[in-house]
Amino acid sequence: MTQENISGAAPSLARLVQELNRLPGIGPKSAQRLAYYIIRLPDDEAYAIADAVTSVKQNIVFCDECQNLTDTSPCQVCSDPRRDRSIICVVEDPLDVLAMERTRSFRGLYHVLHGVISPINGIGPDQLRLKELFTRLGRLEVEEMVVATNPTLEGEATAMYIRRHQGREDLRITHLARGLPVGGSLEYTDETTLTRAFQGRQEI
Amino acid sequence: MAPPKTYRSETVILSYTPLDEADLLVTMYTKDRGKVRAVGKGARRSTSKLVGHLEPLTVVNMSLINGRSMDIISQAEVIQSFSSLKEDLTGISKGLYLAEMIDGFGSENSPSPHLYQLMIDTLTVLQADSSLEMPLRFFEFHLLQVSGLMPELYFCVECRNELEPDAHQFSPNVGGTLCLDCSPEDAHLRPLSLRALKVLRLIERSGILEASKLNISANLSGELKSLLSTTVKYWLGKEIHSNSFLERLHNETLPKV
Ligand SMILES: [Zn+2]
Ligand SMILES: [Zn+2]
Repeated sequence: MTQENISGAAPSLARLVQELNRLPGIGPKSAQRLAYYIIRLPDDEAYAIADAVTSVKQNIVFCDECQNLTDTSPCQVCSDPRRDRSIICVVEDPLDVLAMERTRSFRGLYHVLHGVISPINGIGPDQLRLKELFTRLGRLEVEEMVVATNPTLEGEATAMYIRRHQGREDLRITHLARGLPVGGSLEYTDETTLTRAFQGRQEI
Repeated sequence: MAPPKTYRSETVILSYTPLDEADLLVTMYTKDRGKVRAVGKGARRSTSKLVGHLEPLTVVNMSLINGRSMDIISQAEVIQSFSSLKEDLTGISKGLYLAEMIDGFGSENSPSPHLYQLMIDTLTVLQADSSLEMPLRFFEFHLLQVSGLMPELYFCVECRNELEPDAHQFSPNVGGTLCLDCSPEDAHLRPLSLRALKVLRLIERSGILEASKLNISANLSGELKSLLSTTVKYWLGKEIHSNSFLERLHNETLPKV
């Protein structure tokens, strides 16, 4: 937002508005509204927000195994002995792990790519956690890999790339059933649809 | 207040970026209005009627509403999804390379039905055989032509003498081919073989089907690729991102020596 929009506001308030305005989906108006809301909060509640931001930046790391965001590496899933180590589910994004976990229909391991191959945006295989995936596949005793990238053009391209480069001949590779509409997104899919899609996963 | 104005357009989707919540900002090239950017509200939700209709390299009949800052997509009906092109990584990559060039050269409020048709024709030929390289060369050449940047192929752009059947030089920024006697200082000169010049002339006067059937050596194909992509990049003034992934795939599929 420009300086003139916030002239008249105290500099520290203007700074808060400006920082909030950087967040995705927060326009100048919303940023102002949030800033005034924070000012009116009791001190402890406002400090709790600031503390949560600081703590998340200090503590969150990538899991050395699955590359998901975690407080400690290996993460809870990777270090849980009850998880099924014969199957691994590859997703685009940490939010997709949350979506899958909500279904409670998957008890295996994950691998988070942190994006998809997006040629137009200059995002190639090297910008994703693909090398880590391929190394892991060589090391783990998984029998099946579910490639659960979103059913978008770039998600499909990424799945094709993974299949072509994964390098194991004995691995069963599946993708989610086409209960998911093309162009859809795991993050915005309801649990029933996602469960059904998972159960109907198919070899690719 | 005037009622919102709705319009319909046949359009090919080039790309999209996610916006707030489940919205998409879609970049498309329409047959009759040039490049358009419009918002697909809630388009990432599985339940949206737009979902799957806005994927890149899809031809749709679209209804749009003139918005205050950005047009809004109200309806989209798929005419051609190029689904077999999209079953293959090379096909997708080549298609996206075309899309990025259309995005770069196409302009808003300046329709070019020729450019639109060039995109559709090239996708159609690639869908039949995605391993072909000539359709990309045809596309690059005619993209330059449609944009008024067609390189000169018959006369030296400097001395205006007719070109002898011989090796020559080429420069994107002085407008095409030069004889060996001319070398203006500011030109980005590069050698041009007689065979490459002949293929360029053929690309200029033939249709895409004929040009795509040309069977040329890997060397000549490499010369043309380098010449045309350098020229396209020169006029665009920036890298074509999808070219690097395309090159990567290309190098992976080359037979190992
Ligand atoms: Zn982990
Ligand atoms: Zn000359």
